[in-house]
Amino acid sequence: MIQFKDVSKTFKSKGVTTQALQHVSLTIDDGDMFGVIGFSGAGKSTLLRMVNGLEMPTEGHVEINGQDLSKISHNEMRKLRKSIGMVFQQFNLLDSRTVFDNVAIPLRLNKADKDKMHKKVMELLEYVNLADKADAYPGQLSGGQKQRVGIARALATDPSILLCDEATSALDPETTESILQLLERIHKELNITMLIVTHEIQVIQRLCNRVAVMEHGKVVERGSVLEVFSNPQQDMTKKFVRTVIPDQIPPSVVAKIHEEKDNYKILKLRFLGDNATDHLMYHINKTFSVQTNILFASVNELQKTILGIFILQIIGNDAEIAKVIQYIDEQQVQWQEVDL
Amino acid sequence: MIDLGVPMSQIILAAEQTVYMVFVSLFLGTILAIIMSVVLVLTNDDGILKNKYVYTVLNTVINIIRSIPFIILMVFILPLTKMIVGTRIGTTAALVPLVIFIAPYLTRLFENSILEVSKGIVEAAQSMGASYFEIVWYFLLPEAKSSLILSITTGTIGLIGATAMAGVIGAGGVGDLALTYGYERLNTPLMFFTVVILVIFVQIIQSIGNHFAYKTRNH
Repeated sequence: MIQFKDVSKTFKSKGVTTQALQHVSLTIDDGDMFGVIGFSGAGKSTLLRMVNGLEMPTEGHVEINGQDLSKISHNEMRKLRKSIGMVFQQFNLLDSRTVFDNVAIPLRLNKADKDKMHKKVMELLEYVNLADKADAYPGQLSGGQKQRVGIARALATDPSILLCDEATSALDPETTESILQLLERIHKELNITMLIVTHEIQVIQRLCNRVAVMEHGKVVERGSVLEVFSNPQQDMTKKFVRTVIPDQIPPSVVAKIHEEKDNYKILKLRFLGDNATDHLMYHINKTFSVQTNILFASVNELQKTILGIFILQIIGNDAEIAKVIQYIDEQQVQWQEVDL
Repeated sequence: MIDLGVPMSQIILAAEQTVYMVFVSLFLGTILAIIMSVVLVLTNDDGILKNKYVYTVLNTVINIIRSIPFIILMVFILPLTKMIVGTRIGTTAALVPLVIFIAPYLTRLFENSILEVSKGIVEAAQSMGASYFEIVWYFLLPEAKSSLILSITTGTIGLIGATAMAGVIGAGGVGDLALTYGYERLNTPLMFFTVVILVIFVQIIQSIGNHFAYKTRNH
């Protein structure tokens, strides 16, 4: 378990102080795929780097399994770091060493014996599908392959925590997808707690079960990915979520609605999981004397759960519309009114 | 064969003296420079062992030594030379000023080479729980290797120039041969011959340096 307890961090350089983190408290449970999202400069990398002590809080504590990182010696910190793997945006591989030697380095630092090391490194390269590149140099690899080496290296010491610092941000979409698949597989098969820092919401959508949204050094929103994605509260979060789960009426449709003379209300409905959407629509149209138009609809899968977003225009008199809303409430479907 | 005015054995001896001075002082200077440049990189403002005092003192000492012309440095430290090698004159006596001259020079070159290594490498090393020594030994120096080789090459060539002046304290060498027998006795063929030898020296060293730097870099 990783705990941030009221953590603040101030950087001072040449008389200028920057508040990178302000009173951040977070708990990451064992086995979590925890995502931290924010624009650059939000402090998310600083947060990540505190987990392995590359950065120390100015105030507050970071604890791993109850152990306060500010209270341990340099040697204990080094030991702890060996149990935490880290994957970097820029890969940070040694250009002067072969792929094999890059993956072997953490084992070499652990003074592992030669045969064991060879076996382990080949296993890891097999796992990331790069066994044939063992003797190649990083300069001969593509970005995606480099990141696979980086991931294999991070796994060399069988860590219990894996930190991913913008691991896919330097890659093209297709390569990103293959790296995400690899990370997903690692999480599933090796049951490693992962902390993933990114500015790409798709990464969170694809991988994480929990998410924290950061802005100006603060956590502005947090929760399960399902909660946050299905019902974002902060403007920042909405902006992020909207890029992967659109929930807005296209402008041309808006223009048309403005021409509508009759009395109407526009409702945005969110269906989670097995809320029967067709049943609801059927019932509204059949029971109430209103006319419904679907202005927008999207269906997405999050954490194996279906999230449907429908924007309905309900045309009719106020009394009938009120009845419809009451019915929607009874069905326990989340809704909100949309003003155009 | 043209008469150079000096016996061949003397030319060979001079060449041997130059090689001896260059390589012994290069070897000692490189070791010192590696240590000093690593200390500079680790203790500088962005270093992982940031230490203002160590950095400032070392940095200043290097600057001071580097601002003294070699010929003045050589006579200036004669007492120190006497203390270390027991004599003020001769080829071995020249080693002391040569090392003191070349070590700060190489330190600066090495410092630049090591600073070229991306910070991410150091961060990766730290994240693996590497000790400070391991960071230097397994990460910084291997990554800087090809650049370090080129720095040593440049340093070697600088040393050859410096050995020519070592004749002042009776160190001999090819440069001294050119000055005393070639220049002062107006022996142009000998002058020309020594220049050719020096040019060949430098060419060979530069080619070897480039070859190894290319070999380590070009993956």
